[in-house]
Amino acid sequence: MEEFLNQLKEDFDEVSYEFETISIKVNVENWISSHELLRDKFDLKYFSWLSAIDWDNEVSVGDAPKEEVTPSFEIVTCLSSVDNSNLITISTTIAKDESVIPSLVGVYVGANWHEREAFEMFGIDFEGHPNLTKLYLPDGYEGNPMLKSFELISREVKPWPGDVDVEGMPEDSEGDDS
Amino acid sequence: MVNTIDPRNIPGISEASVSVEIETEDMTLNIGPQHPSTHGVLRLVAKVDGEKVYNVEPVLGYMHRGYEKLAEVRTYPQITTLVNRIDWVAGFSNEIPFIAGAERLMEIEVPERAKQIRLILTEMARICSHFVFNGAYALEVGALTPIFYAMEDRERVLDLIESVTGGRFHPNFNRIGGVKPAAGSGPTTKKNIQDLPAGFYRDTKLAMEKVIEAADKFQNLIGGNEVFHKRTKNVGILPKETAEAFGVSGPILRASGVKSDLRTQTDYLPYDKFDFDIPVGENGDCYDRWDVRTKEMVESAKIVLQAIDDMPSGPLQAKVPKVIKVPAGRTYVRAENPKGEMGYYIVSEGGLGPYRLKVRTASFSNVSILPVMLEGALLPDLIAIMGSLDFVLGDVDR
Repeated sequence: MEEFLNQLKEDFDEVSYEFETISIKVNVENWISSHELLRDKFDLKYFSWLSAIDWDNEVSVGDAPKEEVTPSFEIVTCLSSVDNSNLITISTTIAKDESVIPSLVGVYVGANWHEREAFEMFGIDFEGHPNLTKLYLPDGYEGNPMLKSFELISREVKPWPGDVDVEGMPEDSEGDDS
Repeated sequence: MVNTIDPRNIPGISEASVSVEIETEDMTLNIGPQHPSTHGVLRLVAKVDGEKVYNVEPVLGYMHRGYEKLAEVRTYPQITTLVNRIDWVAGFSNEIPFIAGAERLMEIEVPERAKQIRLILTEMARICSHFVFNGAYALEVGALTPIFYAMEDRERVLDLIESVTGGRFHPNFNRIGGVKPAAGSGPTTKKNIQDLPAGFYRDTKLAMEKVIEAADKFQNLIGGNEVFHKRTKNVGILPKETAEAFGVSGPILRASGVKSDLRTQTDYLPYDKFDFDIPVGENGDCYDRWDVRTKEMVESAKIVLQAIDDMPSGPLQAKVPKVIKVPAGRTYVRAENPKGEMGYYIVSEGGLGPYRLKVRTASFSNVSILPVMLEGALLPDLIAIMGSLDFVLGDVDR
């Protein structure tokens, strides 16, 4: 693991190892070339998944990020090797108003469906994708459900916590847990 | 008197009718979404030229429940109820990588005993999943009998899961820091820590011996059937390189000759304590995929038998705060589920719930290979190939 990490540090500037997960950050210009390098030089031929994170301060679902963030999309892919336990996640950040990124289908064919999912869920445009159409959502569906600004109807109709959920916490007298 | 001409008497006509090129028009064939062999609601739009399939487009989304979005408005302990329902054939296995991810971010050391109970139950879930596959796949290629045996034998294992967790399919048994006190083992008080139900070891031993017997029975009943051989051997061959690039995992990848198993490659559960083989196929055809899964049932049963012989004692729960807040950070935890690699990418901002939860499911990547595998296949092989991938639509759509 140490050795693999050091090898990665030679080729990439931003490599971190936290919570047993290696994360690499690259610029969007190097998105394709980094993946080619990881596939060929580091033998990470197994394409696990691709997805995106919507970073925004104004959220309609869940909690907002603790610190102020620049509204942007973070695209994350996960690559690994079938022969050993090497696994990395690699990410890049793109602006929200110009959410275009080159498609990885040329490097890993398996990225096809993952990119289609990110396209419909976040509205990210994957340049050069052979068939960038909706994967799950029906024709005529408007909006991108995974955006933080997209409201979750069930929570709008019935706010949380509802009546059932406002039970008190367990009695403190029972134990000495912190 | 009517003069009739017998066409057979016209010279050369019988030869002519044979040598004429039969041209068929291309046809679009719609399969599903409500079709028993689609394991849920998968729809395939196949373009066929006679008996040959030359293009298949899977249409997804009939089972999409938006769990990634729902997870953003739930607390960590609540999410286990959601993830149970992803791959409902092996509900217990879905909880493991999620809980392990939350524990990793919180830096909680799980007690050995809790880990081993998780391991036993997740192996039982694998056995259940492979039982369903054995029954359903035989049914899909035309054998009616095995599913009755499979369901009967699976019931014994499900009963065991139920006796511990209280649920057959959606146990919701894992807690951050350990496992829930077992069902049916007395009242919940702190001083009297509940554990596995009475007679669990004895029943497990019996059930696992039955599983090994059943796998043997399937090797004869299904594997010894010539029709099954003809339907599955050299059908739907998947080369190793294609499997890797598409992110295909689990028994399908191993059937293509890749000895890759996350149980030995990663340490999400203490598998290194036990002896077991990783069955690997040679040709990567439908038969190998069936064979690998059937052999895996025996290996899983062996793991469970070893695990109940060597149960560590101790608590079922680590000390955790009453209100679970996961510190900011991100991690990816993957596990070898019955259908392949399942993982959760948790992005935490330090709140009660995750900021983003990416669910990586095995069936999604496994099904994405269908267009490649079915190109050029014969129509009768379509169901045989599709069935051999052993997917569940809840696992594809999430």
